Amino acid sequence: MNPHIVSRLSFRSKINLGIVLILLCFAGPVIWLATDMAARELMNEIKAKGAILAENLAVQVTDSMLAGDLLRLKNMVDEIAAVDDINYAFIQDAEGRVQASSYAGGFPVELKTINAAPEDGGTSVRLLKTSGADGELIYDFAAPVIISGARFGQARLGLSRTRHEARIGRLAAAMAGVAGAALCLAVVASTLFARRVSARINVLREHAEEVVRGNLDLRAGSPLKKNCWEIMQCGLLSCPAHGDAERRCWRLAGTMCPNCRDKTPRDKEESCLNCEVYKQNKGDEIQDLAETFDVMSAALKARLAELRDAQASIAGQERLLRVILDATPDHVSLLDADLRYLAVNRAYAGFLGLPPSEILGRADREFFPPEEARAREEEFLGVLASGKAFHKEAEIVRDGRRGWYHILIAQAPGPREGAALLRTDREVTEVRRYREQLIQAQKMESVGKLAGGVAHEINTPLGVILGYAQLLLDDVPEDAQMHEDLKAIEKQTLVCRDIVADLLKFSRRGDDRRRPVSLNDTLREAVGLAGRSFANQRIRLELDLPEEEMIVAADPERLKQVWINFLNNARDAIGENGLVAVTARKTPDGRAEAVFADTGSGIAPENLKMVFDPFFTTKPVGSGTGLGLAVSYGIIKDYGGELAVTSPAPEGVFAVRTPEGAAPGPGSVFTAVLPIAAQGSKDMPRNEEG
Amino acid sequence: MLRRRRLTTALSALALASTLVLTLGLAGCGPDEEAVPVDLSRREEPVPAVPKRGLTYAYLPQYAHAVSYRRHRLLVEYLSKAVGMPMRQVFPNTFDEHVKMVSRGEIDISFSNPFVYLRLADYGARAFARIIEPSGKPDFRGQIISRKDDSSITALADCRGKRWMAVDPSSAGGYLFALGEFYDQGIRREDFAEIGFAPGPGGKQEKTVLAVYSGTWDVGSIREGTLAVLADRIDLDRIRVLAETRAYPSWVYAARPGLDPDIVRKIAKAMFALSISRPDDAVILQTANIRGIIQADDADYDSVRELVEKLGLSQEAAQ
Repeated sequence: MNPHIVSRLSFRSKINLGIVLILLCFAGPVIWLATDMAARELMNEIKAKGAILAENLAVQVTDSMLAGDLLRLKNMVDEIAAVDDINYAFIQDAEGRVQASSYAGGFPVELKTINAAPEDGGTSVRLLKTSGADGELIYDFAAPVIISGARFGQARLGLSRTRHEARIGRLAAAMAGVAGAALCLAVVASTLFARRVSARINVLREHAEEVVRGNLDLRAGSPLKKNCWEIMQCGLLSCPAHGDAERRCWRLAGTMCPNCRDKTPRDKEESCLNCEVYKQNKGDEIQDLAETFDVMSAALKARLAELRDAQASIAGQERLLRVILDATPDHVSLLDADLRYLAVNRAYAGFLGLPPSEILGRADREFFPPEEARAREEEFLGVLASGKAFHKEAEIVRDGRRGWYHILIAQAPGPREGAALLRTDREVTEVRRYREQLIQAQKMESVGKLAGGVAHEINTPLGVILGYAQLLLDDVPEDAQMHEDLKAIEKQTLVCRDIVADLLKFSRRGDDRRRPVSLNDTLREAVGLAGRSFANQRIRLELDLPEEEMIVAADPERLKQVWINFLNNARDAIGENGLVAVTARKTPDGRAEAVFADTGSGIAPENLKMVFDPFFTTKPVGSGTGLGLAVSYGIIKDYGGELAVTSPAPEGVFAVRTPEGAAPGPGSVFTAVLPIAAQGSKDMPRNEEG
Repeated sequence: MLRRRRLTTALSALALASTLVLTLGLAGCGPDEEAVPVDLSRREEPVPAVPKRGLTYAYLPQYAHAVSYRRHRLLVEYLSKAVGMPMRQVFPNTFDEHVKMVSRGEIDISFSNPFVYLRLADYGARAFARIIEPSGKPDFRGQIISRKDDSSITALADCRGKRWMAVDPSSAGGYLFALGEFYDQGIRREDFAEIGFAPGPGGKQEKTVLAVYSGTWDVGSIREGTLAVLADRIDLDRIRVLAETRAYPSWVYAARPGLDPDIVRKIAKAMFALSISRPDDAVILQTANIRGIIQADDADYDSVRELVEKLGLSQEAAQ
């Protein structure tokens, strides 16, 4: 039989096949042996029986032969031939003549001489086969009739061997029938047994399949009839085995039974052998397997739970890291030793304009122009070669956007073998701007301190100069040349005194009497003060204020000083024939905004950054100190506001309102934004003041 | 599942079939022997054996024929030679047949007990010789026996009302002599609870002893010498000999009526010539269980006749 066929057979069929083969191996030789022995014994028996019958007949017939009593002889042979398996019987005298025979009509001639009792006594047995298609086998027995040592003839009888063989055949058939029945019973019994065993194995298999599918809650072991605490009646409620119907107590550690206290599960298998619980609840190997399976699935379940927890924890951490990495605006990327991307964060992917999946595994030359890519690769290779971190600040232009970045490249352990490179690009454009502003502020502070010091030192000599010049004026007639010269000294000294006063304001910021004040009022007052000089230069001054009052916390004088600075600058920029528009409004973010737009000559772009620097002026010497806008800038900043300048003026600002005939310049717009302190009627601050 | 069940059924069927085939196949194999072919269809009518001519000699069938044959074979052969004529034993099955065969002339020389002889004599047969018993005497006795453990029978008189087994109605030592002894003691046949005879044929003396020995019968009557025959087969100590009869002349040879007297003479002469002292003769005599043969005539048996008369058995015997 093909071994594969055997291996494919079901377990039940294998048990049946095994039992059938065992029985066949057992029953076959036994039946053969028994039949053979029975056949031999029966043959020996019929031979012995035939010999005894023949010898008995020979003894019985002596008297009748002596008496010549043929009737009795006939009766005797007929009587013996009537026995079932005896074919014939006859008596021969010493000359071989048939005295009496069981044959009714004629005597078979060949039978007379075919067998003869030996001369030395004893019985002769010969096997005869009758003629015909189904010839019968007959044992012929010839026993001598001896009286007083003299042979009187012989008694012959024929015993059918064929009929005995038929009996042996029937015996064999009966044995085969019994064996067959036993075999059928064995097959039925083995089927029942195998069904029971295979059913339990199938339960295990289904259990295993469920485990494969992830269901670890099934139980393969059969429940116990009596649990250990019921058998022992221990009442030890704190014992770990108490109440645990699923696990066997000899598999548990720390049980409190006196028999097994302080024993490990490994030792328990030995020590529990004589325990009543073990004897009652210990099953066969399949039961053991099922219980071990249950223990295994329980352990597996626990491990899986631990694994899931660990996985969840790792996933959480990974999510956290990913969130951190993606949340940072820095461009973070990890490259392998072949300079191919292993990981990128969202910011870097956004920078490249590609989803991360399309970046991983690719190199810089696929994303950057060849020159830039080569430069990047050289930096990477340099870090790989030296093992030292590299950092620099560089301006990077991508898709028309320009920005400064602080670049850090460091070697890091790779996720597998070999080193990896971590590159972080942090945008520092704003930082750089703030840094420049800081430098500017520091510079201005130094200049302010210097100017303050100088002004303070100069102020007194100037006073002396002015005083003496005025004293001399009093002493010099008005028409004298000297008077004119002294006037000139006085005038220039006054200019100097103004400059010194501005310098002092710039450096000290003067006395700040801050209070709630209406922005509109300060604007109106400033415009009112400056308005007269504007008309002379045919400059139209337009004031557009909102109905709503905007209260800011400031010193109104200083605010007015700022506004007058703006108006003076505008006037200087226009020269003659122009328009200055002053508007105020509340910005969408809730601050107060004052805008001074003029149609003047405007400010050159290269000067825009410097207009608020001290001493910066484009005016002729003597016309301006270059401190006006710097002081204004300081005041607005002081009040938490912002000051900006735009030039040329945006289109549409003056399109409608430009006076006819005027030749408007590029114009400029100064915008001051101040935080609103409070809102209310414009009388409120006065009430507070009064 | 169905396929597996079919497989199991198929396995069972295969197993059963192979067991049967194996068994039946093996059962056919008997011990091998060479058989001689024989044709039983060729038949013939059996040819009856023709009795041989010559003198016939018969021994009253008190024993089995084979015993009779064995005892007297040598004597018959001796006489045949001595007479110069073939002589053979014939075997009547009963005493009556013996008597009838003598009367019919089928038995030439009869060897019988005195009681039967009286009947033969009635048919004309004449005694010419009698034997010397193994005891050495030309006469013999009957014995009446009982069991020793039967305390109710210690003397002949105790036999009254008991069950008596005798050898045969025609037996001399086994019945007639005992009957005479009882008669002399005043016990008649009708005084017994029952009188039975040993079942025949052959071995009747021994059967009588065994019947008493086994307790089947209370009293038995046998000729002397019978107990010695059974000495090796039963415990004779358990047998009590209640009485012995008087002695009567021994067994007798008689010639049938009409047999040539010359032949009778020759036979008698040969018989008388036998001597126990001669080894050859001794074998013949001892085989026949006799010590010798002496002359006799009819008158020697008058004592027996008288007994028969006394007992009133003559009429019965004649029947």
